[in-house]
Amino acid sequence: MTLRSEIATLAGRSSYWFLHNFMGGGSSLPGKITTTLDPDVLKELGKNYEVIIVSGTNGKTLTTALIVQVLKEKYDHIVTNKTGSNMVQGITSTFLEAKRPAKGKKGIAVLEVDEANVKPIVSQITPKMFVLTNIFRDQLDRYGEIYTTYQKILDGIKLAPDAVVLANGDEPIFHSKELPNPQVYYGFANQPATGDLKAAPNTDGILCPVCQHLLHYHYLVYANLGDYFCPNCGFRRPDLRFKVTDVSERTPKASKFAIDGHQYEIGVGGTYNIYNALAAYAVGREVGIQPDQIRHAFENNQRLFGRQEEINVDGKDVSIILVKNPVGTNQVIDLLGTEPDPFSFVGLLNADYADGIDTSWIWDGEFERLPKMDIQQFETGGKRYKDITFRLKVAGVKPEQHTVQPDLGKVIEDIKQMPTDKVYILATYTAMMEMRSRLMKQGYIKGGN
Amino acid sequence: MTMNLRVAHLYGDLMNTYGDIGNILTLRFYADQIGVTVTDQIISLEDDFKADDFDFAVFGGGQDFEQMVVAKDLPNKRDELIKFIEQNKPLIAVCGGYQMLGKYYVDASGRKLPGIHAMNHYTEQQHENRFIGDIEIQNEATGQKYHGFENHQGITFLGEDEHALGKVLKGYGNNGEDQTEGAVHKNTIGTYFHGPIMARNGNFSIHMMFEALQNKYPDYDFTELKTKVKPESY
Repeated sequence: MTLRSEIATLAGRSSYWFLHNFMGGGSSLPGKITTTLDPDVLKELGKNYEVIIVSGTNGKTLTTALIVQVLKEKYDHIVTNKTGSNMVQGITSTFLEAKRPAKGKKGIAVLEVDEANVKPIVSQITPKMFVLTNIFRDQLDRYGEIYTTYQKILDGIKLAPDAVVLANGDEPIFHSKELPNPQVYYGFANQPATGDLKAAPNTDGILCPVCQHLLHYHYLVYANLGDYFCPNCGFRRPDLRFKVTDVSERTPKASKFAIDGHQYEIGVGGTYNIYNALAAYAVGREVGIQPDQIRHAFENNQRLFGRQEEINVDGKDVSIILVKNPVGTNQVIDLLGTEPDPFSFVGLLNADYADGIDTSWIWDGEFERLPKMDIQQFETGGKRYKDITFRLKVAGVKPEQHTVQPDLGKVIEDIKQMPTDKVYILATYTAMMEMRSRLMKQGYIKGGN
Repeated sequence: MTMNLRVAHLYGDLMNTYGDIGNILTLRFYADQIGVTVTDQIISLEDDFKADDFDFAVFGGGQDFEQMVVAKDLPNKRDELIKFIEQNKPLIAVCGGYQMLGKYYVDASGRKLPGIHAMNHYTEQQHENRFIGDIEIQNEATGQKYHGFENHQGITFLGEDEHALGKVLKGYGNNGEDQTEGAVHKNTIGTYFHGPIMARNGNFSIHMMFEALQNKYPDYDFTELKTKVKPESY
């Protein structure tokens, strides 16, 4: 270690120790101090670890958590950025606060990395594997389009040509560029590959990257994910090494499915979470963890689902689910469609920087499906309550079932009066954070994360 | 009498990046209130577009890759599109759609691509800068104000036989210089207002809906129906 790195690391570790013990904080400031003193400090910090990088627009946090859970079946100590600080400074902090691996041994690190930060991270740490979830249209005011987002990740992958790229094979964009890296694909193979379908209108990323013809599908999983092929040039989905072979049960609280013929259950709904579990399974199998051990790991996943948590509010079973882009929203609407009981729906829209400042995307969400469900009451709120209120009105929600409540504090009071035991809140990032903090203050959520 | 409006969603599967479909949903919302049926159909790469089959058209914005592919296909539909426009049928063209109806446009990577020259504006590229944020304009003919969201790198300059949709009160508009936003030629509106311009501006939607109806049913007196629709705005 260079003297400079040593000083920087020491400063970072001390500041972490101080912040953690006396201030109850410390997620990115130690990283900031350390990287200011030595911009290349990650090189030193990361060199004693085998690193797995998880990136993509949706599902990074949960996939990372599930991978860690699976790897625990084989490794004692795994470093991970579980608070979701997924840029250079947060990752520097993660290494600073981690217990150092024993002398002469390599540790293992599983890192969720923001799409635009893959390159800066990989320029200092050479990972052994990249796990890619998907690239959906997300917050266009910050990252631009799907192709530029993918390019940012590729720019990082190019710096580590020996690392395995473990990618979602159902996502056409992940098969669109030549890479020197070994590539492994996972995906869904639970339907006969006999259909000839097109993706729903309003879906991104459906042009053949070779000949620019519209892609067709033998079957679709959701959005532009599925068993795609180009009828014009023969471009098609790559062979999958790891496959979902059956989906037997889906509710908002659980999914039962089989991967490569092995039965699994996870305590969370949503097809997107089956993809996340599949990615974690794939990583586990790649490093030699057995299917039974992976089942054991998934059984311990209950505490991982912070973005979709259930809260008891005076007897009401309230779930808060983060929404931020059309594909994610449609998947959550799909999840609500698996709810067997009547429920109430709360939609909270903010447009602060962390939410994305453009609310146009709500028009691409399939809110028209909601009035067909057994929803007894709708409420809309947040800073951009007018946008989401009109969106639901156009979707066909009847005025007599629909209340409007801009003030999030009052939303909690309203929820207590709702006619159903179950309440689903769909909220953008800052609205979700504010709701959680208010619920915490009122004692409905226990402290911490 | 039962009336209906047939909407063409031009390249709706490729050019719909900013909630452009909100325009069609909103048109249907207001049309429902006066008993007018709205049907819509995507017209994409392999489809023929026939002016006589439609009464209203929406042409959204796209990402660069899709826009490039659409630009190659668009000349196949050019003659019918111009016929549609010259028949005074309303067409709302947003962002990329707006650029491609003009003489030419320069995309983000600096390529100069021909438009179909259905309108006379042209689009240049600004260097490493985007116009992003809320925008508000005033339509000088009607006095109506419209508000929305813009996010574009292209800068557009108006040509002959077209005038601006409005004067910029807040935001950037066509080029950040001349205080104009959008372009109007007959009932074709090009604009940088993101997708749901009609969703956010009920007055504009209702105006365009009646333009379409009047055009299709020239002998019908819409005075009474006009009193039955209440504009929503947010």
